[in-house]
Amino acid sequence: MRVTVISPESAVFDGEAESVVAPAFDGELGILANHAPLMTVLGSGMLRVKSGGVTRKFQVRGGFLQVIKNSVRVLAEHVQADPGTAK
Amino acid sequence: MATNRALKGRIRSVNNTRKITRTMELVATSKLKRAQDRVTAARPFAQALSEVIADLVTPDLAAEFPLLRTWPKPAAGGPGRAVVVLITSNRGLAGGFNANLIKEAKRRIDALSAEGYTVELIGIGKKGVGFFKYIGRTFRSERSDIGDKPTPEHAASVMDELITEFAAAKIGVVEVVQSKFISVLNSPPTTVRVLPVAMPAKAKGGMRPDYLLAPDAGTLLEALLPLYVRNMLYRALVETVAAEQAARRTAMKNATDNAGDLLEALKRRYNRQRQAQITQEIAELVGGAAALQG
Repeated sequence: MRVTVISPESAVFDGEAESVVAPAFDGELGILANHAPLMTVLGSGMLRVKSGGVTRKFQVRGGFLQVIKNSVRVLAEHVQADPGTAK
Repeated sequence: MATNRALKGRIRSVNNTRKITRTMELVATSKLKRAQDRVTAARPFAQALSEVIADLVTPDLAAEFPLLRTWPKPAAGGPGRAVVVLITSNRGLAGGFNANLIKEAKRRIDALSAEGYTVELIGIGKKGVGFFKYIGRTFRSERSDIGDKPTPEHAASVMDELITEFAAAKIGVVEVVQSKFISVLNSPPTTVRVLPVAMPAKAKGGMRPDYLLAPDAGTLLEALLPLYVRNMLYRALVETVAAEQAARRTAMKNATDNAGDLLEALKRRYNRQRQAQITQEIAELVGGAAALQG
C-alpha cells in the first residue's frame, strides 16, 4: 500500500508501507493494506509508518488522513520527522 | 589631455557598478532556485487539500459554513469592511516588481471601495508598506519580518484573526495581492479572493468515493477549511518570494548587460583618444627634427 505524508512545505514521505498507525482525533488508528475508504481528522501525536521492518516516526498535528484505493494520504499542518526513526 | 583621465575614472566606476549588479544577479539566481523548490514542494499539500474539500462539500453543507458563505454587499446590509493583504518584498532593485504589485493593490482597493466597503490594508513587506504610508494611508497591520523563507506559521499568524472576523460577519471580503509564479519569466501580479472560500473545482466524475467518515463531513470540513485558507496565504507568500527573486535576477542581468555595453563604448573612446595623442606627439617630434635638420 502506498503512503504519502504531506506537510504544507513539502512531501515528507512517499513510498510503500505495510502499516500505518496514526493519531486520529479520538485515539490511535491502525491501517493495514486494503483498508476500506476512510477519511478522518488527525489529532496530535506520533505517526508511525512501517515498511520492510523499518518504522518511520513523525510528530504530526492537525490535518487529516485519507484512505482510498489502497493508498493512504496523511496531510498534517505540522509534521516533524522524529529523530529516532530507523529501528 | 584632461578628458583622458576623466574617461579612465568613468571606466573604473562603470566597471565597479557592473561587478555589483553581476553579484546581485548571481545571488538572486541562487535564491531563486531555492524559492522555486519551495513553490514546487508546497504543491502536493494544496492539491490534496482542495481535492478532499471538493469531495466533502455538498450544497447544503456549503450554506452552513460561515467560511463558505458569501456575505451580502454593504449596500444590502452586509458587513462594511473588506481586507486587502498586499504582499511585496522587503528589498528593492527588482525592476517593476513592487511597483506592479502596488498598482494592482490600488486597483483592488478602488474596486472594493466602489462596492461600498471600507478597505483595511495589511502590508507584508517593507516596499508596499512604505509606499502606502507615503501616500498617507494607514494600515490595519504591517509585517516586515517575513523574509525570504515564509513558513506556514507566518501565514497562520496573519490569517487567523481574519478567519475569525469573517466567520463573525465583521469582514465581507478578504483578498490577497500577490505575484503568481507561473514561470521565471512570467509572474504577473494577481489578486486572489481568499474569503469567502471559492470552492475548488470538483474532480471529474463528481462522485465521491464511498468513505467512512469519522467524525462526519461537517466536522471534517470545519477542521479543514481554515487549513485551506491559511495554506492559500502560505502559497501566496512562497510564490511572491520566488517571483521577487526572478524579477531581481532579470533586472540585474539587464543592468549588467547595459554596464558591459557602456564599458565597451567608453574603452573604445579612451583608446582612440590615447592613440590620437601618441600620433600627435610623434608628428610633433618628426616636425621638430625636420626643422633642426633644415
